[in-house]
Amino acid sequence: MPTTALTYPLLAALSAVLLPFAGFLLSAALGKRAGNGAVATSAILLSLLAACYAFAQIWNQPPIHIQWHWFTIGEQAFHVGVLLDNMAVMMLVLVSLIALPVHIYSAAYMKGDPGIHRYWTYLSLFCFAMLGLVVADNLLLMYICWELVGFASYLLIGFWFTKDAAVQANKKAFIVNRIGDIGFLIGMALTYSHLGTLDTTALIEAPEILPAPWLTVAGLAFFLGAMAKSAQFPLHVWLPDAMEGPTSVSSLIHAATMVAAGVFLLARIFPVFDATVLLVIATIGTVTAFAAAYFALTQYDIKKILAFSTISQLGFMMVGIGIGMYPVALFHLATHAFFKCLLFLCAGAIIHEMQHAKETHDLDMDPQDIRNMGGLRKHMPLTFTAILIASLALAGFPFTGGYLSKDALIVHTFEWAALQSGAAKLIPYVLVAVSMLTSFYILRLLAKVFFGSLSIRSVKKDIRIHEAPMRMLGPMLFLAGCSLFPLFSVNPLNDSYVWLMQGLTSPVSTLPPLRLLHLAIPVLTTGVTCIVAGVAWQWYVNGKYPLKGGGLFYRLSEHQGYLDALYDAAVVRPVVRLSQLLLWVDHYIIDGMVNGLSALGRSFAAVAAWLDQRLVDGFVRLIGKIAWGLGNVFRRLQNGRLQHYFATLFFIILVILLYHIVVLL
Amino acid sequence: MIPLTHFLIVGACLFAIGLYTVMARRNAILVLVGIELMINAAILNLVAFSRYDKTAYGGQAFALFAIVLAAAAVAVALAIILNAYKFYKSVNPEDIRNLKD
Amino acid sequence: MDITAWVFYGFAAIAIGSALLLVSLRNVARSLFLFFIVLFSVAGLYVFALADFVAITQILVYVGGVLVLMLFAFMLSNKELLNDLQMGTSHFFALPVWQSVILAASFLSILIYASLHLGTHEPAWISSSRESGAILTPTDQTVQHLGVQIMTRYLLPFEIISVLLMMALIGAAHLTRKEANP
Repeated sequence: MPTTALTYPLLAALSAVLLPFAGFLLSAALGKRAGNGAVATSAILLSLLAACYAFAQIWNQPPIHIQWHWFTIGEQAFHVGVLLDNMAVMMLVLVSLIALPVHIYSAAYMKGDPGIHRYWTYLSLFCFAMLGLVVADNLLLMYICWELVGFASYLLIGFWFTKDAAVQANKKAFIVNRIGDIGFLIGMALTYSHLGTLDTTALIEAPEILPAPWLTVAGLAFFLGAMAKSAQFPLHVWLPDAMEGPTSVSSLIHAATMVAAGVFLLARIFPVFDATVLLVIATIGTVTAFAAAYFALTQYDIKKILAFSTISQLGFMMVGIGIGMYPVALFHLATHAFFKCLLFLCAGAIIHEMQHAKETHDLDMDPQDIRNMGGLRKHMPLTFTAILIASLALAGFPFTGGYLSKDALIVHTFEWAALQSGAAKLIPYVLVAVSMLTSFYILRLLAKVFFGSLSIRSVKKDIRIHEAPMRMLGPMLFLAGCSLFPLFSVNPLNDSYVWLMQGLTSPVSTLPPLRLLHLAIPVLTTGVTCIVAGVAWQWYVNGKYPLKGGGLFYRLSEHQGYLDALYDAAVVRPVVRLSQLLLWVDHYIIDGMVNGLSALGRSFAAVAAWLDQRLVDGFVRLIGKIAWGLGNVFRRLQNGRLQHYFATLFFIILVILLYHIVVLL
Repeated sequence: MIPLTHFLIVGACLFAIGLYTVMARRNAILVLVGIELMINAAILNLVAFSRYDKTAYGGQAFALFAIVLAAAAVAVALAIILNAYKFYKSVNPEDIRNLKD
Repeated sequence: MDITAWVFYGFAAIAIGSALLLVSLRNVARSLFLFFIVLFSVAGLYVFALADFVAITQILVYVGGVLVLMLFAFMLSNKELLNDLQMGTSHFFALPVWQSVILAASFLSILIYASLHLGTHEPAWISSSRESGAILTPTDQTVQHLGVQIMTRYLLPFEIISVLLMMALIGAAHLTRKEANP
């Protein structure tokens, strides 16, 4: 039931949401003077403190729900409100906890950029929208924040808007997101038409009000929205291109928070999904995880590898939702946020240094290409430590948070598959394969970048790579600490002690446990990771690469499954051609009709002008001419001609005589 | 004797011819001749009616006076014509148009 | 018809014919001479109206005075006048100006109509004169009676006419005086 009292936790949560908005307005108003980022960073710091306070007050307490009437259209009333339960406050803290290090890091990373004041403004806008999304209590408000987050992402991807690739990427991101938003809107419409309200609590409590086919449709529609936002196959194509934005943006938005919004939405309205939809979610999640890991194997751009890694892990989260264990999915979301953000920050530090080296020595190279790097372990030791921790967390090595979440996920998937039939039984095995691929690609990245020798040294002998500055290292190391197990559980090896999952568990999500697997799976995955590490060492560090590059599977991976080409041919070109056709129609037919009508009007006007000129003016002129003519006639009498006067005289006399004769006689 | 109407008709013809001469000829002297013709026609009319006026001989007396008047008119008119010719260098009434509007 | 009627018609024909010719010829000199003939014929017509004194006066004054005056003025005027008159004589006959013809013809028709009307409806005073026998006869002594009437009944007009004649003389003489050139 919605409360009306503004308690301190509620106020803290509201201020946590609104402080970045104030930061946004202030940065926008200050313009170029907001370049040092103090406004944005202090806003997010205060927001984090408020969020922590709210978390402390609300975790494992009864949820707080408050609602205000916003507007009414006819008979329908719409509200704006805040729902604070465990899920919401966890996300509140997570988002601000990730955002703060990124803000500090950005001050150093984006130093000297001419548009940096815009950057802080957009970043504050994004934080506000994301925080608003997690506390929203109805679908309308959540949709508004959803769109705002997408818009902020658009602005930030295209931050360097003079680069054509960035402009194309942000357009792509926005358009693909819009396709998903259709799904969200359809879901909202179905909800509203059957329930009469858009409250998520109402939806969660009584999803069976929607009749059977509509319930499935609504579930699929909401999942479509989440697919686009969380980059599931086949709507994932925008995320690799979104790497055109600054790396700090990629770390915050496209690794940790925005892409997790889709997962959050599905977790929020979980009771809506019936068995069919859940199966679809699990399947697509699996396909995404596998495809993305496959594509990541052959990429050369460091950020693209990490982008595909993000997509793959999001697939994992979707599988977690699909098997019904949404707390596990949310837990994986939390751990993934930390180590993925850290991975991106480290990549950013490397790119920053490579860019610096490129400018100093005037080289012609791509600073993001891992083939140009190597042996950076000696030059950037602290960065190497941080990225090593993050990579181990990604690969699911013990003593990291990632190990807890990923292995929990895989084990629960096996438990779920035991209850399923048919092709669903394959899902857990695919996930195991994916985690092997994950280990491979991330260790490939580590090997190529940090081990061996710096390949650009072969071009110029005296290139020096420096360690990252302290302002970048501090946040990185902080996040590295968060990626380790102590934040999540006292027991590094057993996932039953994870306090997050205990807080999020609901009676809906339980599966009969298979005790044996809880031991076997972690051992299997850890063992495979070690083997893969050895293989990667052999191949990339020692240079003994046995396979020939350029085979069919290699090319399929490198070109990302040719999906972009497929979309271009199947969707983009027909739309362009359709729009050209419509342009032709508009130009010739519609404009033609308008021009025709105007020509008709002009011809009428010409006729009217002719009438006016000839008839109306002519009539007036005729009268004038008659007057002139008459005057002229009488003027002629006075022509100075004697005989004419004489004739006139006699003519009049004639008339008088005639009168006398005719009338009087 | 000759009936009255005959005289009158002859007078009418002369008058008409005189009228035409005045209106249509482009020489001032001929205009004068026309005027004289008209006067003569009028005098013929007077004389024709005077046959029935034995008591007062009014028609004939008036005819005499009219002849005298005609002579005076001719004299003065010729003087005027000669003066006008000296000024306008033409006897064509058409050329004297200074009274034109 | 008796001989008087024929002679009358002859005189009338001559008069009208000469007048017509006078009107249609281009040569002004010839027109003046035809005028001369017209005047003589009209004098003859006066005789037939039993106004012999008027006829003689016509010949004396008109022909002998007016016409001679015109001829003098015409012939004795300067050369340019003569040349002007002889210019533009491309045709023998002058072309009739039809507006004037119509006007003259309509006048003629009206006058003839009036004359014919008079013939059928005699005015009262003519009828009473005819009954009382006060009509001129060829054997009357016109001159005596006319003289008496002029001296008694028409004395005032007679004097005024003489004064007017003197005025005309003086006026004509003044008009034709040679101006002293400054």
